[in-house]
Amino acid sequence: MSFEWPWQYNFPPFFTLQPNVDTRQKQLAAWCSLVLSYCRHRKHYTLDVLEAQESPLFNNRKIERKHSVEAIQIVFEELRKKGNLEWLDKNKTRCLIMWRRPEEWGKLIYQWVSKNGMVNSVFTLYELSNGDDTEKEEFHGLEDWMLLRSLQALQAEGKAEIITMDDGKGVKFF
Amino acid sequence: MHRRGVGAGAIAKKKLAEAKYKERGTVLAEDQIAQMSKQLETFKTHLEEFASKHKQEIRKSSQFRVQFQEMCATIGVDPLASGKGFWSEMLGVGDFYYELGVQIIEVCLALKHRNGGLITLDELHQRVLKGREKFAQDVSQDDLVRAIKKLKAMGNGFGMIPVGGSYLVQSVPAELNMDHTVVLQLAEKKGYVTVSEIRDSLKWERERACHVLDHLLKEGLAWLDSQAAGEPQYWLPALFSELVSQDVTPEEANQMTP
Repeated sequence: MSFEWPWQYNFPPFFTLQPNVDTRQKQLAAWCSLVLSYCRHRKHYTLDVLEAQESPLFNNRKIERKHSVEAIQIVFEELRKKGNLEWLDKNKTRCLIMWRRPEEWGKLIYQWVSKNGMVNSVFTLYELSNGDDTEKEEFHGLEDWMLLRSLQALQAEGKAEIITMDDGKGVKFF
Repeated sequence: MHRRGVGAGAIAKKKLAEAKYKERGTVLAEDQIAQMSKQLETFKTHLEEFASKHKQEIRKSSQFRVQFQEMCATIGVDPLASGKGFWSEMLGVGDFYYELGVQIIEVCLALKHRNGGLITLDELHQRVLKGREKFAQDVSQDDLVRAIKKLKAMGNGFGMIPVGGSYLVQSVPAELNMDHTVVLQLAEKKGYVTVSEIRDSLKWERERACHVLDHLLKEGLAWLDSQAAGEPQYWLPALFSELVSQDVTPEEANQMTP
């Protein structure tokens, strides 16, 4: 399914950091929304700033407008403040993009588990993210680091327990 | 012998003549009034018949409404002048435009965060029609203009700016003077305007042009594009043609500041 760009994407000024404070607020909110939906659509869990600058996300070739690195950093800072982004390095060149936060993933996973009557079963992380059974689920293909955080969130709620097994980690649901 | 001209008798005679004259005048007036009353009574009955016959049409047909309004204008009546009375109660004219006014306000509010409170009459019309689909009532641009004029008279911060053969409807009390309006009209063609274009077309000093553009930025009516070739361009979301058909998405609704 092709990605539906919001109206702002084809609006040239969208790629210029707005001088008016109120307008800038709207602009940043729209950018945050766009970054998250784009990453969700492409199932990107990490972003590299320089690569992102050349991707369609921040570079609209049709209207010949692109975001500067400074502007991208400002958008990312907004996302970080909202809890949707985490820097992987001190130089801020790569980041984790959480278009769904760990708690939200945890909820989805638990729903699937209970819907299929598999509470009290034990799963390996691999089974959850790559197993045949979960192929139709949204969390299929979820990267390990995110999966772990989601399970940790469930653990904090008392709904799961992460177990260390011989060849990796597993989880038991309650 | 004395000539009896101006004397007590003459004055008395004069007074008597005046009194008789007045009485006659009173009789005349009473006659007139009686006649007028009768005419008014007939007129009122006719109006009531007219109302019951055409009430449906008023609500359903925009063409009928135009002709009706023109007829009223000819006889010097403004059916929208007051909320109560014959026109609104019997014909429902006021109701129709009142409801339309409410709908217009709703559309403008829903899009304000996008266009700063400025919208083309075309886009407004499109969206109003969309919202009325289930009522299958046709609404013309003439209807919108009348409803907006009524809103303006009620002091709702509404205004209409003539641009490119139609109007831009302003729904926020942003202060827009002649300078601003003229620049808006200039921007209508392409959806954006530059300082050079303003100077060339309007023969203004650079400072005057920049002043106006800054004001439009400040009011949230314009956005700055500094990646344009040559010089910065000032774009107005209200005039951005690609926007006209795009509904407010859930994401966008979430971004709206309360």
